[in-house]
Amino acid sequence: MSVNEQGTGGPIDRGSPLARVLDGYAAPDLPAGFADRVLAAAETRPCGSASPLPELRRPARVGMRGWRMGRRIAIGVASFGVLATAAAATGLLQQIALPLPSAQSVWASIAGTAAAETTPRVAAAASVPAAESTALPVVIEGPIDTPEELGEAFRRVEQVRAGRREERRAQIDQRIKNEIERRRAAGLSVPTPEEEARFRARVEQEIARREQRADQQVAARREAMQRKVENGEAVTREDLAGPPPVDPALREKVRELRQMTPAERREVWRSLSVDERRALTEAVRARRGLPAPPASAASPQSELQPEPRPEPSPAG
Amino acid sequence: MTAAPQPERIAPPLAQPGDDAAWAARLAARDPDALREMIARHGRPLHRVAYRMTGDAHEAEDIVQEAMLRLWDHAPAIAAKHPTGSAAAAQLRLGGWLQRVVTNLAIDRLRRARRLAGGEMPDDEDDAPLADALIEAGERDNLARALVLALPERQRAAIVLTYYEELPNAEAAEAMDMNIKAFESLLHRARAALRQALAAQGDAP
Repeated sequence: MSVNEQGTGGPIDRGSPLARVLDGYAAPDLPAGFADRVLAAAETRPCGSASPLPELRRPARVGMRGWRMGRRIAIGVASFGVLATAAAATGLLQQIALPLPSAQSVWASIAGTAAAETTPRVAAAASVPAAESTALPVVIEGPIDTPEELGEAFRRVEQVRAGRREERRAQIDQRIKNEIERRRAAGLSVPTPEEEARFRARVEQEIARREQRADQQVAARREAMQRKVENGEAVTREDLAGPPPVDPALREKVRELRQMTPAERREVWRSLSVDERRALTEAVRARRGLPAPPASAASPQSELQPEPRPEPSPAG
Repeated sequence: MTAAPQPERIAPPLAQPGDDAAWAARLAARDPDALREMIARHGRPLHRVAYRMTGDAHEAEDIVQEAMLRLWDHAPAIAAKHPTGSAAAAQLRLGGWLQRVVTNLAIDRLRRARRLAGGEMPDDEDDAPLADALIEAGERDNLARALVLALPERQRAAIVLTYYEELPNAEAAEAMDMNIKAFESLLHRARAALRQALAAQGDAP
């Protein structure tokens, strides 16, 4: 083995000492008559009844980790929740092909500019009874600087948020169905109806938790906006729609990390350079509006985890 | 020391796009000749994977048989999802499907064996040198077998699929149902563990 190879995980070159050793692990051939035995066994299989599929490759460990699919979807739910807390997602949801109004169009509908583009395309938002919107015809003219206009802005934002929630739930439901179908097609085990019900309950719990957190953040921001209006100031676009989105490349990186299991995330995290880790950390911190922490502060992995776990730090 | 035998790396016959869908249709129609052909095409590489994963020829045989029977059982569903001539048919790769089932079955069996053995097999990477007695047994094939079998099962699968079966990382990741980056990280650690174990034996020139 060359010095360079030692202690590294680089490719194993053919002809290298390690390769020469590994090549010694020869596999025997299948015994004669193997096909006949399989065919005989196939004939005795009950017709039309598929045998049990393979067990999960990474089964749940008691008290540690849940079903892998559950983690993935929970992480997906979490990512949706976090994205939504930016109030408005400012174009993010459009990038994943959700037919939702952008922050620009929401703002336009509130501020009264570009009236032709103010109708949310999402079905749920459009389904809000017309009578409701015409009962209190508050016209927002110019900047939002009166309590009535602010209330009307909040009402319209709520319409959009309700539509997004419904759309999100529908998409999560579809993802669960897709995942089960994918596992079935891949020959992996699929959950029993009871397991699926338990899993969906957990997902619902996670959604509720995320929405509650989002509501709290929205409420806090609205209080600030109300104080601003009471003081005679106008509400800005950023007040309503949140800070501008982070760099798309970083956002994509964060999204990729969120879609992984905690163990996979740790592996990827370890493979990142210090600069990449720092950039990700700063991106997450910026989006959460957090001040710069001391050097020993937690990594963005803490946010990326669906829930706190007693696991080693990814940076460690 | 005698020359080490070269590992078998026999690629399965090249199939035309949609070819596997036709085979799936025949399997779904309960054509035993189709199952025999599938065994002839895929049996050997699957057995190699199962053997190198488990280190036991009989266990490997059981795994391949189980995988083939599952193909037989699920053929109607597979054929229904990939009707011949459709766009989905061109995507169907029964070899990849079988590879994934065999990898899953092998890992499951290893884990079950570990549970039955009271958790003696390492789940995480074991930094300690391999058991001296096993390594010092001497011969190169024993050393190779010991090196591979000492790896945690997922690292072992990564080495078996990429080194021995020469699958591209993307296909191996798919066979292990992993994200490509996570797989590459796993593979990196597997190689590093192998090198570390080999170096611990003083085999480095």
